[in-house]
Amino acid sequence: MLNCEKASQLASRAMDEKLSFRQNMALKLHLLLCRSCSNFTQQLNFLREVSRHSGKKIGFKLADEAKRRIAKVLKDQQTS
Amino acid sequence: MVDNNSCSQTWLEEYGDYLFSYAFLRVKDKHLAEDLVQETLLAAITSEDTFANRSSIRTWLTGILKHKLIDSFRRQGREFVMGDLVDQDDNDKLDYFFKSNGRWVNKPDAFPNPESAFEQKEFWRIFQQCLSGLKPKQAEVFLAKEIHGLSSEDVCKDFELTPTNVWVLMHRARLALGHCLKMHWVD
Repeated sequence: MLNCEKASQLASRAMDEKLSFRQNMALKLHLLLCRSCSNFTQQLNFLREVSRHSGKKIGFKLADEAKRRIAKVLKDQQTS
Repeated sequence: MVDNNSCSQTWLEEYGDYLFSYAFLRVKDKHLAEDLVQETLLAAITSEDTFANRSSIRTWLTGILKHKLIDSFRRQGREFVMGDLVDQDDNDKLDYFFKSNGRWVNKPDAFPNPESAFEQKEFWRIFQQCLSGLKPKQAEVFLAKEIHGLSSEDVCKDFELTPTNVWVLMHRARLALGHCLKMHWVD
């Protein structure tokens, strides 16, 4: 039987890769019996959702205008 | 010969957003973060050290950015050392989250529906705060993977990590973020 530390590890891995049949069954069984780890799994999905939106919401990407400005500086440097 | 100069535009396209988000998390100022990306790429193209000697351009550029960040903190008179940008101890224990028998120290709660968070300005402020609180390596990998959409494979290659390193870092980053959001937002 998995403990919560191992189960949370597998739940996190499952977000990024396909678990083996055994790992998957062990995780499913644990989640069925453990409210805390089910909640953690829900947090993982929450984090994935908000991270995908954070680029726009927090502005984690270079603004087009900044990108153009930097591109120009780099180009000038190149020709100088 | 491929020189750094002719690559700079590609680097800007490929790594610009990542470098920007990395800097922005730390300086919390959009314009300053943009300037730091510019300085980093300028330093990269004038560097004698060409990327040909490196296995990962991302790690190399991030390394240059870290030095630029430290310079910038110094200019502002802020105490800052490289140690704040590099993990001191890779073997940090999980005992903050789990007891020795593998049970939770603080049982995780269910979070609200993500959509309910999207429109809250306060949520995004806290989320950003929580991201900046991550350990350096965790933050780097989490940003690249979850926010800029890199595959696990590319993360391994770009950060020179094994698949095991990556899932360990992701597990810890997620535990830390979940805990931070619970403390500052959910409760």
